[in-house]
Amino acid sequence: MIKRYFEKVWVQNLTLLAMVGALAYYFTFIFEFKYDFDWAVFFVEGQYGHMGDLMVNGLNSTLTITLYSAVIALAFGTIFGLARLSSFKPVYWLATCYVEIFRNTPLLIQLFFWNFALPYAFPEEIRFKLFEMDFEFWCATIGCGIFTGAFMAEIIRAGIQSIPKGLLEASYSSGLSFPQTLRKIILPLAFREIIPPLGSEFLNNMKNTSLAMTIGVTELFWSMQEVLSLTYRTFESFIVATAIYLLLSLIIACLMNIVNEKLKIMPRDRITVLRRIADILFLPVDIIGNGLEYVFWYLRKSPEQKTVSPIARLFKSSIKTLSWGAKILFVAALGYLLYLLGTALMNFNYEIIWANLPALLIWRFPNGDSSEFFMGLGGLSGSLLMAIISITGSFFIGLFIGMGRTAKNNAIKIPCTLYIELVRGVPLVLVILWFYQVILDFVFKLEIHAFWAGTIALTFFFGAYIAETVRGGIENIPVGQVEAAKASGLSYFQTMRKIVLPQALKQMLPALVGMFIAAFKDTALVYIIGVMDLTRAAYAVNNRTMIYPFEIYTTVIVLYFIFSYVMSLYAKRLERKLSPESVRIAM
Amino acid sequence: MRVLKITVMAALLVMAASVAFAGPTYDRVMSTKVVKAGLSNQGIPFGFIDDKNDWVGFDVDMAAEIAKRLGCKLEKTVVNNNTRISFVQTTPSKVDMVLANMTHKRVRDEKIDFSITYFFDGQKFLAKKGTVKDVKDLAKMKVGSMQGTTSIVNVTAYLKSLGNANPKVIGYDGEVAMFEALRSGRVQAISTDSTLLLGYAAKVPGQFELVGEFISDEPYGIGLPQDDSAWRDAVNFAIQDIWKDGTYQKIYDKWFGPDSKYPFPLTSKIEMWP
Repeated sequence: MIKRYFEKVWVQNLTLLAMVGALAYYFTFIFEFKYDFDWAVFFVEGQYGHMGDLMVNGLNSTLTITLYSAVIALAFGTIFGLARLSSFKPVYWLATCYVEIFRNTPLLIQLFFWNFALPYAFPEEIRFKLFEMDFEFWCATIGCGIFTGAFMAEIIRAGIQSIPKGLLEASYSSGLSFPQTLRKIILPLAFREIIPPLGSEFLNNMKNTSLAMTIGVTELFWSMQEVLSLTYRTFESFIVATAIYLLLSLIIACLMNIVNEKLKIMPRDRITVLRRIADILFLPVDIIGNGLEYVFWYLRKSPEQKTVSPIARLFKSSIKTLSWGAKILFVAALGYLLYLLGTALMNFNYEIIWANLPALLIWRFPNGDSSEFFMGLGGLSGSLLMAIISITGSFFIGLFIGMGRTAKNNAIKIPCTLYIELVRGVPLVLVILWFYQVILDFVFKLEIHAFWAGTIALTFFFGAYIAETVRGGIENIPVGQVEAAKASGLSYFQTMRKIVLPQALKQMLPALVGMFIAAFKDTALVYIIGVMDLTRAAYAVNNRTMIYPFEIYTTVIVLYFIFSYVMSLYAKRLERKLSPESVRIAM
Repeated sequence: MRVLKITVMAALLVMAASVAFAGPTYDRVMSTKVVKAGLSNQGIPFGFIDDKNDWVGFDVDMAAEIAKRLGCKLEKTVVNNNTRISFVQTTPSKVDMVLANMTHKRVRDEKIDFSITYFFDGQKFLAKKGTVKDVKDLAKMKVGSMQGTTSIVNVTAYLKSLGNANPKVIGYDGEVAMFEALRSGRVQAISTDSTLLLGYAAKVPGQFELVGEFISDEPYGIGLPQDDSAWRDAVNFAIQDIWKDGTYQKIYDKWFGPDSKYPFPLTSKIEMWP
């Protein structure tokens, strides 16, 4: 009875409206808010200056960092992505090291390393020169760029490798040269594969710039905190910052969608409106591309030029020696770098590391006092525990929300979609602050330890990401199976439980392990609410020892790396086990 | 489906229960016999983590003493410059009192209540020995301070008054980052409450010195939830009792006495009600 009613769209929409109404009623009339909003703080010059200006300045530098670091990331990603495909082993090793190290350690700790440890590697004069040049800003920008670049490198590598070997063989056998194959076959296909995930990396990069706050860059998140602590307007500052981040995410997502639409292959008679818009926007690019094509055609070699002149031959053979020279030079440079690294490691004060290792691993456990979390547990084991708890919780949230998003019922689909998109559009640090200072406090009036607040925030944050993975998994199941299940009389939940989810989950396993790595790395961000996780412990230890930043931060990076890398190896093994047909092609 | 229903009901019940227990701070503290204090863990020597990973400091000792006088157990919570106000602003408040080297300001008093002043400080500059011959030198220097404090506002105003219309002031995230910036040469001077500066300068003895006059008065008060006068009285009386029987002097000497690491003479008297 109810079920039949729910198939009608107006009933669904009405339910949705009723839910919104109930929530609005609850929060306006029943819920004791005890907070009066005062939006004037952003428009009126107060005792401590104009808060609106502060936010605009913050937005300005967030945009600057985002743009610069995106360019840096793209450059690093392209160079190292191609280097990962190199058949010259030292280049491949270097690129692999870069990708694995930067992907498997938290950005926050990387920023700390660049900002607190790196300057001490230089002699004093150079250091002071550096500091005169807006060091924190460039530290954050380049740090974000390098971090995102590592992810982009993997995307670019995967995109180029995704081209089937048969296509390459076909192109070579039809007489195309390597540059021609690259331009006509590899790049067009690879771009179609690369650009959509690259877009989401740009989005992540924008959100990651919020961490620049921790090293004193006055970007949006910093401004939000400044407004918060100068005016004590928790809600206003949070809401404004969240809205700006959401807006930025929305803009980037829209651009991504337009680009993706442009890349789609669609029949001429079924062109969507969005595609038309994309076509108009990309018209200049098209014109330039076509123009270049003519230029290339005009500049092509005539057949008589193809006879090799002695000079050209000399040139060609000298290129070979030159490339040998370059290779030797590269290996020498790499060797020198390794030597420098080795001497630096030899000169480490291992006593300091050894003395502080217990604190980094377990913090004060079991000697902590009663007000601390679980007898003072923290450090690496605290981070791991938090990651395990939150990923377990977010798995269930993700499962239900992901299923809800694929549902046909508007009353379920719209709230689920809203949840996913809202959470994914905001930086995790902001989500953590929302949970710690607003949601758990004001809305649920719960008083819990910061550890649990952080865990809950992480749970809800990763719930949204897992939901997307679940949705992808569900949508990958052939429609025929679902129809067959329905035809044989299974209900929706039975179909889900018996047919769809088992298959979807199996496909999702590697992604879930990846998500666990991400959660483990992102526990570093609960640093901001004072939980003694590995990053905070490192910070406290560094604060105490003062003169050994290299030793402390390197140790912490190694600790993060070991765990993340081992898990990522496990994820790779799982993937290979689940899909045996992946074969690496050589170019 | 039944399982789902039961879970939802249970969740609603838990929420309702947590909403029901929200009373004035005084009643809650007296009934549970637990007082929650918000303390900094970065402010040497007020609240910081020492070599044995213990959380110690002047504020920590004061909080413990107040809790003892109230006959309660102390529960410590970390606050930082951004959360120290908002933690007593919520209803019910996250902590019952905040001792985080917080200056009693009128703007702050509009949002939360304060106890009587329990510590007297003022803002100064810290720089490498010998770099600042004259206070006027500071105007052109890059100066570090902390985000979310009034120090940064004071410094900017002070440097402007020294004649630099566009002073370079950087707001770091906490005391540690600020001092690190001075030590590594990112900034030529840092400025905040003088005791904090002393605390950090003592980490590398002989390299740094306080320069110039106090640029502002910083009377520290204990942050308390707004409009709970029974609770405010209880805390005020406790502070006065601590002063009266000499315990204050003992705690003060432990951290700021002539033989301590951070000598800072006690010049004022706290307000006493007969």
